[in-house]
This record gives sequence, C-alpha cells and structure tokens, in this order.
Amino acid sequence: MATSAPPRTTQPAAAPPPALESRNRAVPTALRYLGLTVLGLIFLSPLLFMLVTSFKSRVEAAGVPPTWVPEDPTVQAYDSVINSSGTPVLQWFANSMISAGANAALVVTTAALAAYPLARMSFPGKRIVFSLIVATLFVPPVILIIPNYLIVGELKWLDTLVAVIVPTAASAFGVFFLRQFFLSLPRELEEAAVLDGANRWQVFFRVILPLSKPALVTLAVLAFLTNWNDFLWPVYVLFSPEAQTLPAGLSTLQSANNVRYDLLMAGAVIASLPVLILYVFAQRFIIEGVSRSGLKG
Amino acid sequence: MTENIPTNGFSRRRFLELGFGAAAASALSACGGGKSAEDVAGGGTTSDKKFTGEYDGPKVTLSYWNGFTGGDGPFMDQLVKDFMTENPKIAVKQNTVEWAQYYQRMPAAVTAGKGPDVGVMHMDQLATNAVRKIIVPLDDLTESIGLTEDDFTPEVWNAGIFQDARYGLPLDVHSLGMYYNEDQFSQAGVEEAPTDEESLMAALDKLQEVNPQPFWMPSRWPAHLMFLSLLWQNGGEPYDAENSKATFDSDAGVQALTWMTEVISKGYSPKNVAQDSQYVAFKNSKVSVTWDGIWQINDLKAAKLPFALAPVPQIGSTSAVWANSHNFYLTKQAAEDDNKLQAAKVFIDWIIKKSADWAGAGMVPAAKSVRESSGVQDTTQAPIAAQIEAMKFLPPVPGLGDVTAQTFEIAVADAILGKRSPAEALKDAAGKGSQLMEANKQKFGA
Amino acid sequence: MATSAPGRPAAGDATRVDEEALGLGDTSREPTSRTRGDTRAAYLFLGPYLVLFIAFVIAPAVYGFWISLHDYDYTLPGKPWVGLNNYQKLIDSDSVTFENFWNSMKATAIFTLASVPLLLVLPLLVALIMNARFRGRNFFRAVYFAPYVLGVAVVAVLWRFLLDANIGLINQYAGAIGLPDDTAWLTDTPAAWVGLVGVTVWWTLGFNAVIYLAGLQDISVELYEAAKVDGANRWQSFWNVTMPGLRPVLAFVTMVTIIASANMFGQSYLMTKGAPGTETRTAIYYIADTGLRNFQMGDAAAMSYVLTLLLMLLSVGVFWLFRERNE
Repeated sequence: MATSAPPRTTQPAAAPPPALESRNRAVPTALRYLGLTVLGLIFLSPLLFMLVTSFKSRVEAAGVPPTWVPEDPTVQAYDSVINSSGTPVLQWFANSMISAGANAALVVTTAALAAYPLARMSFPGKRIVFSLIVATLFVPPVILIIPNYLIVGELKWLDTLVAVIVPTAASAFGVFFLRQFFLSLPRELEEAAVLDGANRWQVFFRVILPLSKPALVTLAVLAFLTNWNDFLWPVYVLFSPEAQTLPAGLSTLQSANNVRYDLLMAGAVIASLPVLILYVFAQRFIIEGVSRSGLKG
Repeated sequence: MTENIPTNGFSRRRFLELGFGAAAASALSACGGGKSAEDVAGGGTTSDKKFTGEYDGPKVTLSYWNGFTGGDGPFMDQLVKDFMTENPKIAVKQNTVEWAQYYQRMPAAVTAGKGPDVGVMHMDQLATNAVRKIIVPLDDLTESIGLTEDDFTPEVWNAGIFQDARYGLPLDVHSLGMYYNEDQFSQAGVEEAPTDEESLMAALDKLQEVNPQPFWMPSRWPAHLMFLSLLWQNGGEPYDAENSKATFDSDAGVQALTWMTEVISKGYSPKNVAQDSQYVAFKNSKVSVTWDGIWQINDLKAAKLPFALAPVPQIGSTSAVWANSHNFYLTKQAAEDDNKLQAAKVFIDWIIKKSADWAGAGMVPAAKSVRESSGVQDTTQAPIAAQIEAMKFLPPVPGLGDVTAQTFEIAVADAILGKRSPAEALKDAAGKGSQLMEANKQKFGA
Repeated sequence: MATSAPGRPAAGDATRVDEEALGLGDTSREPTSRTRGDTRAAYLFLGPYLVLFIAFVIAPAVYGFWISLHDYDYTLPGKPWVGLNNYQKLIDSDSVTFENFWNSMKATAIFTLASVPLLLVLPLLVALIMNARFRGRNFFRAVYFAPYVLGVAVVAVLWRFLLDANIGLINQYAGAIGLPDDTAWLTDTPAAWVGLVGVTVWWTLGFNAVIYLAGLQDISVELYEAAKVDGANRWQSFWNVTMPGLRPVLAFVTMVTIIASANMFGQSYLMTKGAPGTETRTAIYYIADTGLRNFQMGDAAAMSYVLTLLLMLLSVGVFWLFRERNE
C-alpha cells in the first residue's frame, strides 16, 4: 500500500489494540454474549447432533423424527466403523494427516526457496518465471484435473497418497505470498550478513527463514487445511479402501439407498475431534501468523 | 407371502441350512463341468491349464471388487471368508465401493493396473466395460463350470453376451418389489397385497386412515426404475431394437410417468420427496407402501419393521418389472497373470455354486436349479423369485447406462417434482437420448 | 508510516505486483547488481518449485488443450482428432453438451453470486466482534471455525439429513414456530440454493473470519485514535480506517472465495445430486462427471478451458476493482 498504508506495528499482533477495546465497551456485555451464544448455538447444534447420532443404535439413527438424546446410548457404531476392514476410519485419518502434512511441508519448502530469488535476486528470466507463476494464480484448478489425472496415471501414482500430495504442491499462491513477505523484510540484516561473508544460501537459511516464521506457518496451515478438505481429487485418484483420505473415505459410507447415519456420524466424530482440539490450541498462533505475514501485501 | 420376519436378521443356523441346499445343488452341477479350457477369441483369457475347480499354483492374492455396501455386504463377507478357509492358497482381498462410485473407479483402476482381478458388476454395465476392454471374455469358464442356457431365463443368459462373447456370469437377479407394512395393512383392513391398479388404489384409500400419505413417490432413485417397470407394463420400450433411438417418450412412457405423478396429485404422496426419504419414512412407519429393490430386505429386517414383500402390482396391460443381475467378470489385469486367472476362475465357480447362500442377501439366485431349492423357497423374496419370467432387463449396449442417467432419470425427476409435464419432460429427454445413442454408436463402434 | 524502515521497498501490494508481472509496472526496483553466481543460485533456489510447477501446472495446461482437440477416451484405443469440434459443441445450441454445459455454468454462477457476498460480509461481522478482548473469546472463535475442519463429506451428509423436506429436523422446527414445514430444501429451487448456500456459509464462514481477524489486528491503533481526535463516529472510523486497512485482506478473501465458490462440487454432488433435474449441477460437477465418469475427456477438457477463461476474466475484474488508487 504505497501511500496510505498503515505502518506495521511491532507489537505482537495478538494483543488487541486498546482502541478497539474502548470502542467495544459501548456494546453491553450481556447483549454481546447473548448474540454470541445464539450464533454459537446455530453453529454448534449440527455438530452436537452429529455427536448425539453417533451414539445411537442403527435403527434410532435413521429414526423420524430424530431424537436429541439417544434412547439407548451405544458405542456400536464406533465399534463397527473402527473394526470393519472396509471402512478403516483410523487409517483414513492417518492418510489425511500424512497427506495434508506432507503437502504442507512440500508447499512451504518449495515456495520459500522459489520466493527468495524472486524477491531479492536479479537474474535473466525472472520476469518470465514470475509472470507465469502469477498468471496461474487465477487459473482455477479444474483445468488441470483431466490432464493431471492422466499424468498421475502415467507416473503410476494412482491409488497412492503421492497422488494427493505432490500434484497440488506447486502452489503459485505460496510463492506469491512468501515473495510479498520477503519483500517486506528489512534489508539491513541481510546486508549485515553479507558483510560478514555469508552467501545467498546462508542469508536465506540464517536470516530470511527465521524472520519469516509467521508467514511460513500461515502458509503451512492454509495448505494443510486445503489438502485436508479436498474432496474432488482424492475421490477420483484413490481406489482402495485403505488408500482413502477422510473426505473421500467417509463419502463411501453412504451408499445409493442405504445411508448408515450411525456409522457416518461416528466416522465424522473420529475424523473431526482431533483436528478440532488441535485448532482450539493452535488458533491463536494461526491468527497471529496470518496477521503478521504478507497477506496484507 | 406374509411370512413372519425373523427380527434378529439372519441366523447362523439359517445360513447353514441355505448353504447346505446350495452345496447339494452345486455338487450336481459340478459334475457336468471339467471340459478343457478352450482358447476363446480375443480377450486373452487363454490358459494352458485345465480348469478343475481347484487351484494348485503358488499362493496368490486376488483383488475382488463389488458394491455390496448394504444389507447384502455381510453375506458376501461370509462367503469370501468361507472360500478362503476352503482354499488356503488363494487370499481374496475385498474392496466394497458404493455402486455409483464403483463404475467410475473400476475402469480407471484397471487401466492403472490397480483394479480388481475379479469382481461383480451389474449386467447392464458389462457391454460398456467390454468395449473398453476392461473386462475379458469368459466363455471357457462358463463351459468348464457347466453353466448352460436352460438353467437361466433367456434374458438373463443373453444379456451377458456382447459381440458373440460372454463377459458376465450371472450370480443373481434382483428386481423391484413392493414392500408394505403388515401392521398398517391389517389396521386399515387390507387383507391381501394389491396385485393390480384397482386393488392398489383401493388399498391406498383404506391406508390413508392410518397414514394420510401412504405411498411416497420418490423423485430420484428408484423412481426411474419404477418408471421403467410401468413403461414395460404399458407395452413400451425405453430404446428401439437397433439401439439408436430413445423411445421412452412413447404413449406408454407418458402414461407411466403420468400415473406416477398422479399418485402425488391424488394425495397419496407428498410433493418433493428427496433422495431416500421415502425409504427412511417407510422404515419409520410413516409410509405404508414403497417400491424398492429386493436387496433392502436385510436392512428392513434390521429395522425391526413388520414388513412383507410382494411383486410390483400390474398397473399396465402386461406384467413386467425392472430387474438387473449381478454378474461376475474377470479383468484384463487378471488375464495377464495365469495364476491369478486360474484362482479367479476357481473363486467365481465356488461363489456361483453357493448362490443359494447369497439368497440370504435378499437376492434371487440366477440359476433355476438353485432358485427352486428349498432354501430359496423359504425366503422373504420367494414371491419375487416366482415372478422371474416377468423381469425385464435393459439391453447390453455400451454407454447406455450413461444415457439413462442423463435422460429419463432426469425427466422422471422433473415430472415428479412438478417442474414439467410428463410428456414434455420425456420428449425432451428422448431427443437428447437419441443424440447420445448415435454418438455412442460412433464412439464404441457397436 | 513511522516504523517503516527506510530504503525498504514498498511492500508491493497485489495489484502492483500483478502489473509488474504483466509487464505493466516498473521492475527496476532491484538495486542489486547482477552476477553470474546469482543466476545459478537463483535457479537452484527455484529448481524444486519449477519442477513441480512445470510437471503439474504448465505441462497439464498444455496437455489439457491438446486433449480438448480430440475425442479422448483413455480407455479406448482410438482417440480421433476432432479439431475445435469439442468447443463448437459448446456454442452449438443443438448439441446435448451445449444445454448441459450452460445449465451447469448457470448453476455455478447462481451459487457464486449468492454465496460470495454472504461469505464476504458475515465473516467480517464475526471477525469485528471477535476482535475484542472478552472472556471466552477463544472458545467462540473455535466454535465458529469448527465446521470448517469437518470436510465436505461430513457436512453434506449431515445437512442432507437435517434439510430433508419430509423427515428433516429443519422443517420440523420451522413448523413448530409457525413457518412452512414443507420447504423442499434439497429438491426444489430456489430452496435448494438457499440450502446449498446456507450450508456453505455455515461450513466456511470461520475460515474467512480468521483471515479477516488477522487483518483487523494489524490495523494500527494510532489510526483509530487519530480518527477519534478528528471526531469520527464509529461508523465513520469503520469506513475510513477499518475498511481501507483491510483492503488487501479483502482482496485476498474475495479472490479465494470466488475461486472456491466457482469450484463448488462436493455440496451438490453429495446433497442434491444436482436436483431438481440438473439445476444444481455445477460446472465442476458436470466436468468431473463427463471427464472422469464417462471418460469423455476431450469434452471435459474443452469445457474446463471455457470455464477457466471466464474465471480469469472475472479475476482480472476483481483485481481492477481492488487496485490501488493513487492519490
């Protein structure tokens, strides 16, 4: 923001500015909590329903009208979902974790390496490379689905996690995002390092990377969530039950005419609980990461 | 047909009884087999070994795919388990994928070399996969197992043949049936399952006292199967004999679809019945009558519902009901490995001989000899099995399943949801259908 | 402005960079001299990314175009060249593909138009509330974000059950408070659009809110104080301080939301199956079905090129809208 940009504050961003604090004091506390709670209930009740349904018997889970308290709570659904070889939910969970984790790591590593020369070095072809990358920012993934499917097939990656980890790792957004962040870093530290005799690699690893932690974390989180939630691609490239990721696997629990809500909900609870818990603890860090990174350009 | 439904699903004992009957039947049919496995044209299922019904090669793992995700699943699991106990050299790795995803995944997986060696698919999908060379001819296996035409109805038998080669071996046939709630029938004073339009309407009128809307008309699955049944009953055909033109917009078709919409307009069904709602409502006794596939039997038994199953009533001039058949196939993947090929044949042979056990899954065994065995006679679906002559199947034409999905399935939904009149919806869809069929002919050269 | 380090290049905003990339802007901001070693190092740095980028972005983009010129079914031996025929079908109103494709494009457009404004405004409201310090803030933040971690498969099935016209909880409760209890949320339009958009908002609101929240926390306190000194009321300070401060974040959220909405697939695929008829079958849904279920990959590739072209035009429009207006 060339002219009207607010300065980047040096204080930790997570601490809400006092000005906001005072502005918000005008809102009566009770009213706020009422609003938050109503909205919260709207958000939570479907999840609560999911939790409740997962403890119902097969018959009650499909009962009409649905009940909010299981008549006869049972862990039968959990038992079937976990112990059935056709629906290895824990395996799916592990697959999703591996896939999202590896994808995030790959995205961050390759994007950080690529963003550095684009931000700080001058070399022939830079404009072409950067133009191409930026241009693909706007290319919707759909255009790549069909050819990538064939390419992944040629590489013999179908039905393996590699197929959901690697092809989506060329993140144009990641490069763009980190380049913007690197551009915003003060050059003095780098120059000092160069004076001390550091080469490009040492500057990158010792100066740039440590300064860029929030941006790197943010990119990792975004990549992780995108991969975690991806549905279209895994549905088509993974075939066997033990190779599925969670979204693709769970969708196989509903068959043409025979939705087993009990199993589905139990699977969903198993799938989401760890991530929810993780989020509750990590959210502060995530928000900080996003706010201190190059998103604002 | 109003037998008492065991409330605890199937019992192990019953399972054994069924199996025993089947074993006897299979012992008989096995005697006829044992011919040398001939090299069959195309496909590459050639094998030098004789088929003996036993596997004597090294240990092998078969990848076996099917779509039995419902109440039929446990029966197949049990069969596979039993097979492995009897044939320790063959490990069978099962992959059960919901059918809709199955037909998308299977060809892709086989092409990638990660698919099944052997599997089950619906009869109307065989031609499509045969022309894509995903599955291979099975004529030699048919002969060696000793399956012959006179044990099957011609429709089932012939539908497995595409371009003079057999690609599928029928395991079962399954059709639509009419499920009804016995308690509600007796409460409403309906003595017998309706068999024609008059008795059905009379029953629905009485049932309205118990359930104001006793017969929900689905807009999606299995609405198009109900439509097909009625179309055939009215003397119509969905596609012409040359498979180049869609004909479901004939008077017979319009009549069929109009009848379905009238169930709603006459107040027997609410509007806008979403996918599966009619079935869930039936399970919850909010619906007294529903037409659905006979494979739902076990699911309904598990729901502890006082239900019975009867043939779909004859609304039109002839008796007809939509049916399909689960067929075994072998893939090109299996054909490349002689041991797998042998093992797969042993597996298919074994399962087909146990098809009476499979009746426990709610299916009707395809072979007459098995069907008439005592075990099958006692099942819930016995009244359906007796109607096998009335069962009608979609023709084996490559790409036809896709045509169906894109045309009258949508037309039926449109009409039932009141978006368009039956005639208009069908005519439009038939126009599209004919175009697609021409394109398919060109593409598949069939 | 106070803390911005001297000599530091303006933290180029998105538009500026875009212009530069497109050759419109000024690229001579690099004072560093070019050396031979730098070129080698630069490409070494770029190497890993470029390998992925060429293999899975550039190559498929070209390959996809090649496919779109054929009647391409990869399970069949023959893949005849058809030239631009696959594209022609998309503009020939007599072909089956024409109607299906443009219907699906219409569905995508409806969904995007309906969901994007909601997904821009509602999360902002949530973020504004969440940006204050109060007891239980972390709890509420987690609550609003929670649906996002579920993934579309769970979300869709859960809501399919809740939204069922005849047996679902939503209609049951609507009836209990005197509203119509027979709304066909899954089988009739526009109700199905309300259902799909509502579920999508519920599902992804938290994600956008987090991004906004980050942007809000970065707006300097002094600016608010300055506005206060100038006598601005809360509304004025929102328009004159918060909104300009959020502009880059807003641009980002807008882009991401548009792209995500235009790529909607799972909700329709799992909740409505495109019902009624094919009215809620989105472009991606139709393309995936055509290419990966029926293996008409040539058709599907041609469709995806047309969709891409339209989306890129839209993106340029959005960028133009959010461009830096130099005072």
